[in-house]
Amino acid sequence: MQYGENIRLALKGLTDHKFRSFLTMLGIIFGVASVITMLSIGEGAKREAIAKYQDLGVNNIIIREKSLSDSELEDVRAKFSQGLSIQDARVIQEIVPGVEKIASQAEKSSDVKYNDKSVKSTIIGITPDFLEMMNYSVQEGYLINETHYEKRLKVCVLGAGIAATFFKGEEPVGQMVKIEDQWLEVIGVLNTKSLFTETVGELAARDLNTDVYVPLSLFLNRFTPENILASQIQQITVQINNSDKLMEASRIIDEILKRHHFNNDDYGIVIPFELLKQEEKERQIYNILLGAIAAISLLVGGIGIMNIMLATVMERTREIGIRRAVGARKVDIMSQFVTESVAISITGGIIGVLIGVLLALTVTLFTDITTFIKPYSVLVAFSFSVIVGVSFGYLPAKNAANLKPVDSIRHE
Amino acid sequence: MLIEIRELKKNYSLGSSEIPVIHGINLNIKKNEYVAIMGPSGSGKSTLMNILGCLDTASSGHYFLNNVDVSTLDDDALSIMRNKEIGFIFQNFNLLPRLNAIQNVELPLIYSGTPAHERREKALQALEKVTLTDRIHHKPNELSGGQRQRVAIARALVTNPGILLADEPTGALDSKTGIEIMRLFDDLHREGNTIILITHEQEIANYAHRNIYLKDGLIHSDQLNSQQNK
Repeated sequence: MQYGENIRLALKGLTDHKFRSFLTMLGIIFGVASVITMLSIGEGAKREAIAKYQDLGVNNIIIREKSLSDSELEDVRAKFSQGLSIQDARVIQEIVPGVEKIASQAEKSSDVKYNDKSVKSTIIGITPDFLEMMNYSVQEGYLINETHYEKRLKVCVLGAGIAATFFKGEEPVGQMVKIEDQWLEVIGVLNTKSLFTETVGELAARDLNTDVYVPLSLFLNRFTPENILASQIQQITVQINNSDKLMEASRIIDEILKRHHFNNDDYGIVIPFELLKQEEKERQIYNILLGAIAAISLLVGGIGIMNIMLATVMERTREIGIRRAVGARKVDIMSQFVTESVAISITGGIIGVLIGVLLALTVTLFTDITTFIKPYSVLVAFSFSVIVGVSFGYLPAKNAANLKPVDSIRHE
Repeated sequence: MLIEIRELKKNYSLGSSEIPVIHGINLNIKKNEYVAIMGPSGSGKSTLMNILGCLDTASSGHYFLNNVDVSTLDDDALSIMRNKEIGFIFQNFNLLPRLNAIQNVELPLIYSGTPAHERREKALQALEKVTLTDRIHHKPNELSGGQRQRVAIARALVTNPGILLADEPTGALDSKTGIEIMRLFDDLHREGNTIILITHEQEIANYAHRNIYLKDGLIHSDQLNSQQNK
């Protein structure tokens, strides 16, 4: 018997009992839709995490000053620690193997003024490699370079947000802004950075787009620290040439800093790549759980198909007898019924995929959960529905094929 | 010899005991014979028909159809045999209700793997033979009893089988329609078909040229019909 004939027959069976077919499919529809939605939420979370840690640089180790209360700070200073310093950075660069680049940064909150406008901002003094290491790029002008740093030039690079507030339609590059008592020339404006919405270790969540970057040399020379006890710098970013060596490098850095800070616990080390791996591991458990739920709903859907197919075979005993009498072999009957259950599950699968995609879009639209549908997950959900159709259609089809023609043809 | 039956026995098992239904039959039927098999209920005529139609197999003995020993065939080979050599006509027509007339007639050709356009052609030819070309797109429930039986006969004819096996073909029809159907059988016989008719009505059996009476699972008599209905 030609296969096309089976397919035609199966589709006819579906359309002859539209409502019943729909009810039978429902389990598969829900199963597939939930697989698609859950995978899309999982994938969305993964992509978000990767983007977040990519912002911090996957090969970077970030050493950051701990935020301490005044009394804690006094305590630490009394125990001889000077806090993070350029000297620390220099030692790390000399001793730790595999350091590709290293950048120091000092920070302070301050108002930035342009004409009569004033914005509360974080002023960040940096060494020239920093912006490049963090994958920052300019939409206009230049980043801070060696010359600016060496000559302590009075220049700054603005975050996208602050530039937008100051210069509506004006050309920002070349303008002068005022921070405390210093006039600085704007040499570049950064591209918009995604909000840093989650606190990671000592890195607090904040809006990076209102930052103003100046050469560290200038910062240390011209701006007074907020607190007399404050450390020289607030952060050291170390780029390692091999991500496999990150853990080892961070251990050595910790050793060095312990010694230089006289065992004072006044700094934290963040390894974005390790955090990413850890988060992925946690998410994996969650994904397995979601997968199990989806698998159960597909299983229930499959049992629904089997149930209906068993009833259908009973109901159509006479038809099977007639087909056998005119020459259908067991395998013909078998493939007819398997095709029918596969037709149900494929149709259910297609509807399920559509609903799943719609659901994922709805989730993105109405909540702040990011979803992403990989073509691969659609394929997986779809193939599962076909497998369900074949495996749960098999038993009823076998029953049908094994009916004795002589009995079934006289079945009333 | 088209059909050759040797010492054919059939038992049904009922629990632990075996109930013999056919006790040992010897029978020859030649090509283009028109045979009626008769007998009271319980005589084994339905069982014999099932075996002749390859729907069932004998418990012992041999059944040669076109010189093939059917008792040695497996299920697939029996299916192919039914497809190629047997054309069934049933009392209650046994058409598929969801298919229209021509689709019902095409059904055996689907299982013989005939290409679609050829199927349609052959089915139309078969429907022509039973003079039902004007209702080919009607479903069985849109046809009268006589028309349904014509569709069933067309379905039996469409593969050009060795035997037409009719089980009480007029049982569900009024007498006038019954006569029409029997006339059709006469025509088919004249065209060279071999027909085996199972019936309990003498009047119907009279259309055949040879009457076989079964009683208690044995052939009671086997004689040529002297008073054929013409």
